[in-house]
Amino acid sequence: MESLLQNITRVCFGASYAVALLLELAQMLNPRPVLRLLGLCFGGAGLVAHTIYLIVRQPTIAAPFGSLLLLAWVVAVFYFYGTLHHRGLAWAVFVLPLALILIGLSYAFTDGGSPEPRWFTGESFWGAIHGILLLLAFVGLSVGGVASVMYLAQARRLKSKALPGSGLRLLSLERLAQMNRRAVTWAFPLLTAGLLVGAILLAQHSDASPGFFSPRVLGTIGLWLAFLVLLYLRYLAHSSNRQLAILTLAAFGLLLVTLATNHPVVPGSRP
Amino acid sequence: MNLAVIGCDFRSAPLALRERLAFPDAKLERALDELIARYDCEAVVVSTCNRVELYLARSLAEQALDAGLVAEFLGEFHGLTAAEIRPHLLERRDSEAVQHLFRVAASLDSMIVGEGQIAGQLKRAYEKARGRSAAGPLLNALFQNAFAAAKRVRHETGIAKGRVSVSSVAVDFVREVFTRFDDKTVLVIGAGKMGGLTLRQLRHLNPREILVTNRSAEKAQSLASECGGTAVPWEQLDDACVRADIVLSTTGAEPTLMPWRRWDGILARRAGGTVVVIDIAIPRDFDPRIHDGDRTCVFNIDDLKNIREKTLAERRKHVAPAEAIVEQEVHRFLKEWTRRRNGPVIARLTQDCDVKRAAIVAQVMSKLNGRLTDDDKRYLEKAFHLMQNQFLHGPISALDEATHEGHGGNLLEALRKLFRLE
Repeated sequence: MESLLQNITRVCFGASYAVALLLELAQMLNPRPVLRLLGLCFGGAGLVAHTIYLIVRQPTIAAPFGSLLLLAWVVAVFYFYGTLHHRGLAWAVFVLPLALILIGLSYAFTDGGSPEPRWFTGESFWGAIHGILLLLAFVGLSVGGVASVMYLAQARRLKSKALPGSGLRLLSLERLAQMNRRAVTWAFPLLTAGLLVGAILLAQHSDASPGFFSPRVLGTIGLWLAFLVLLYLRYLAHSSNRQLAILTLAAFGLLLVTLATNHPVVPGSRP
Repeated sequence: MNLAVIGCDFRSAPLALRERLAFPDAKLERALDELIARYDCEAVVVSTCNRVELYLARSLAEQALDAGLVAEFLGEFHGLTAAEIRPHLLERRDSEAVQHLFRVAASLDSMIVGEGQIAGQLKRAYEKARGRSAAGPLLNALFQNAFAAAKRVRHETGIAKGRVSVSSVAVDFVREVFTRFDDKTVLVIGAGKMGGLTLRQLRHLNPREILVTNRSAEKAQSLASECGGTAVPWEQLDDACVRADIVLSTTGAEPTLMPWRRWDGILARRAGGTVVVIDIAIPRDFDPRIHDGDRTCVFNIDDLKNIREKTLAERRKHVAPAEAIVEQEVHRFLKEWTRRRNGPVIARLTQDCDVKRAAIVAQVMSKLNGRLTDDDKRYLEKAFHLMQNQFLHGPISALDEATHEGHGGNLLEALRKLFRLE
């Protein structure tokens, strides 16, 4: 049984998500409940395989490989929940590509053998807290990113005065803007707290790592600044929701770049 | 089947005549009572703004009701002459009448294909008839099957998808922008009757507040009291726009009431969020350049009409599949009705022949007693049975065919008499 679980690879769940996405697209062109059900089955199977993969392999989130796959898993949960909750909307069409991009990006990196410390071992309590806080902030930003793409798509539909209820069916502009706002507002304190904990930990081990000048730390600080600008524009400058959506997407791009870098405590990243 | 549908619709009769032939609720009950008393028939009267139709069923033995009689009835009832009515009446019988009702119920015969009101109107007409005991076995079965067919059409095709009235389309657009309305402010600019229907639809969304402004303060006050809103002085139009989430504009003022520079100033004062402007005025009140699909969404009368046309074009694509479903359901109903009506007679005929065959076989067997083997006896029984089946096959299939063609009543009666099935 254990060897069977060991055989689960990124191809298994990546392919399941891809099939689920194709079925969802087919369902949009030719609406049939059976296609949606099949899509959900494939998506669900992918999620189960993805979960088993993370449990069995236990990749570290300090390295790009682990953080990309873990974030992809959270996005897949978001897809599954959203598809069940918002039946009839083109939810999967927007969320699944993100999961596939994250899984695809993970191919640029290998598991790296035995990167230390593994976040799940509880070796370092504060290290784990730091990792979890940042992961939650990244989840918030990913949700904000997906909501932003949907917002821009819905705004485009409205601008072209498309037939209501036809084509890509999405949540209302108000709901999407609200989803983006909430995601960013919740993610900011988590990111701030995660950064503070990380800064204290780095200061304690400044002799053993490149410290504040590692790409991941700089990227995360860049993200924090982007969040600050987003919140300023939203609450003080009253910028339009379209501008905020575009900026959220830019911040999400920065997140992907940041995730593709190693954490300063990962042995492989040391100079 | 002795069924007829006689009446007029928007194609056969002008609105003025349809108005005079209409049956309001009070008149409808009297009409049903009178139809039953006068013609001893089952009756359902369908009266809508687009059609007045009488569905009449009688027993097979009785003469079918025709358009002449119905014209007389309608004339007497509404104070018109039969000659005024008769040229506008359409008459359909038996299977054609069944098909007509099924198409009407599925909204395939409506002025706007796929509209949803007709099913409810038919249901009300049928309930009224049931309430006066005017619907008997045939009309009960017919209407229930028509409702089931209409349901199938709605579920299995996209014929009822989308909305086609300008006010409904406007509300659909509003729903693409907003999810909740209990925190929204609706501003109505202009107090004319033009926006009445749209305002009614917007009120159904239960907005937090409705503001009404008009050049004439009295008119604004009057509309505000009608719709449970608050009148705002015309001079405070910009302030009201800053507060509003949904603007319904109907003034048709010249020059344009809201040029984009003025609107820009309003947007600068707003705390964010999207404003939906429904501009149903001609000429337009709002400069269309302010529409950006983000901060301001403007939908004018042309946009709403375009959507209506697109929706209708979409619906038309579903007409052929809907007609196919109706065809299937009509066929199924006619077959089922035939079975129900002819069934007892055919059963009696078969039973009668069975008894006679059994008696003859018994007689033959007793005459040939001792000279036949068991195999011979079985063979003899089978031969008589086969002969009976072949003998009955002709009349039974002729009865089925005649019923499908709509004149099975005479043959059924003939069978009863010929075979003494009383």
